[in-house]
Amino acid sequence: MAQTEFSMKNLPDENGYFGEYGGSYIPPQLQLIMNEITEAYTKLKDDPAFIEELSYLRKHYIGRPSPVYYAKSLTELVGGAKIYLKREDLNHTGAHKINHCVAEALLAKKMGKKKIIAETGAGQHGVALATAAALVGLECDIYMGEVDIKKEHPNVSRMKVLGARVIPVSRGTKTLKDAVDAAFEAYLADPDTQLYAIGSAVGPHPFPMMIRDFQSVVGYEAREQFQALEGALPDALVACVGGGSNAIGLFTAFLNDEDIAIYGVEPAGKSFKEGEHAATLTLGKPGVLHGFSSYLLQNDAGEPLPVYSIASGLDYPGVGPQHSYLKDLNRVTYVTANDVEAVEAFYQLSRIEGIIPAMESAHAVAYAVKLAKEMGPGKTILINLSGRGDKDIDYILENYPLAE
Amino acid sequence: MPTVMTHMVAWYPDRDRSLEAAAALAAGGASYLEIQFPFSDPMADGPVIQAACTKALEAGFTLSGGFDLIRQITSMVDIPVYIMSYASPAVSMGVERFVTSARQAGASGCIIPDLPVGCDEGFFAYSKSIGMDAVPVIAPNVTHKRLEEILSVSPRYVYTALRAGITGTQTVLDQPLIDFLSVLSAQKVKVLGGFGISSSEQIRALSPYVHAVVVGSHLVRAITEAVSHGRSVSESIRSAMKQWEQ
Repeated sequence: MAQTEFSMKNLPDENGYFGEYGGSYIPPQLQLIMNEITEAYTKLKDDPAFIEELSYLRKHYIGRPSPVYYAKSLTELVGGAKIYLKREDLNHTGAHKINHCVAEALLAKKMGKKKIIAETGAGQHGVALATAAALVGLECDIYMGEVDIKKEHPNVSRMKVLGARVIPVSRGTKTLKDAVDAAFEAYLADPDTQLYAIGSAVGPHPFPMMIRDFQSVVGYEAREQFQALEGALPDALVACVGGGSNAIGLFTAFLNDEDIAIYGVEPAGKSFKEGEHAATLTLGKPGVLHGFSSYLLQNDAGEPLPVYSIASGLDYPGVGPQHSYLKDLNRVTYVTANDVEAVEAFYQLSRIEGIIPAMESAHAVAYAVKLAKEMGPGKTILINLSGRGDKDIDYILENYPLAE
Repeated sequence: MPTVMTHMVAWYPDRDRSLEAAAALAAGGASYLEIQFPFSDPMADGPVIQAACTKALEAGFTLSGGFDLIRQITSMVDIPVYIMSYASPAVSMGVERFVTSARQAGASGCIIPDLPVGCDEGFFAYSKSIGMDAVPVIAPNVTHKRLEEILSVSPRYVYTALRAGITGTQTVLDQPLIDFLSVLSAQKVKVLGGFGISSSEQIRALSPYVHAVVVGSHLVRAITEAVSHGRSVSESIRSAMKQWEQ
């Protein structure tokens, strides 16, 4: 495969930059801790024992490789390009998050930490991390906004059953971004016995790089699987983008294949009015938040704007720095799907394929269906079906009831 | 009275009373004012200051309003005023515009903890070019190499985070900390030492090792108590600072 200007092999640079994005905009006391994590990760990632343990757990615990499935009925219904799904919804815990959580828990263990801590929004990352902590034998504290705790009761219960402490965050908007602040604060108070395990490919260096590396197994597997099924690589890739962990996980293995069109789908929510969407790359501008530089939704005073999506896993006013870089390079095209389109796709995939997608992943399905029509027969599309939708069924049935 | 840099939050509890606080701090014997621009998602504030920032934002703080307040304060007091802010607002406005506005408002410099030397969007170089102090923040367990990098921008002042964590909890002056401050003071920089100063004993204990002691959440707490008991902000500040003289 020809290496091109898009080669991501050496990114980020040693200071954590993807082009002008990323970096480490943090106070010095936090920088020392990040340096410690970078050092530990750099050593560990090439350690044969770690690689072996991680690949064992991927296979026997997470259930990898997840299948690549040809969605024949959906393809025939749409009547365009062939649609394939990378089934991350079939992983243990039901989403891609477990891929980086198991690795982060192993890293914490190797660093001699007793506890692993993180924030969670909808609770998906919290559940995956609580699971990994139970597996590896670590204590686990999950910081969660009071508003989210009320909304996401089943996930709160799952975390508790798994032995994690769920710590309510009552400051500010009482949602994800405030939980991030609280988790960082708790981490700073005691960095020696804890490791902070961020929930997406965001935050200061080395987090975006680490999460990307741990998630990239998705794309490398899919590449081989697709080749075996179709005898060629897909013509297009589609994944939803909130913080961007599942998308960068799929994209990484294909970035140097310039013939493959890559689409990241952002949530357009109810409208493109302020506060009614979370389409950061589509409508934002570059800035700094939570320790890294990236496209952001923020006001003139640098305050993060309120964001919304029907999929709580997508409503973050920032996005992983590598996505910002890929946007500027025009290597990935960032598009949107709104709430209604995502709900339609949610029902469509459930009814015609018997697969209930997470509302996050339904955004990717919604755009891929449009794209399949445009591309037409003879072409192929690979979607990252990043999670299953059990968590969403009650909310969707109540708010978007089926026509009888 | 030891040399003290007092910290306060602009617009806390509202614009007028933050102006009153600045006047009281200067009258009470502060040698420097550090005035924080509130931000919703800071990465190194303890709960006391963060709660103050939330209130200040609710009270209607804006960046232009903040610089306007600084202008009023600098024309009223005759001690140097430093603006403390975070990377998000500074980068959003443009670091050069931010520093220029600070200068036009009469501030002597800026402290932006999450724009560290080398990842600072031109903060240090530009400040120097227009005669403003960009004050780097240093953690006590800094490596020798990193300390050299920071000192290579030839700052007049450095700000030390004496507790390796967030602001507002008690700082203990142990031997490694004293050694660190001695190393720093041997350099050609003036050391502003803060984070977690809560008693006159701590101020007196720290004073010999630094150019100025930074007192932050202790004073913010005094304002919070004044507000919740319906007392005057300046009166609370006066009595808090009076204790330091004993």
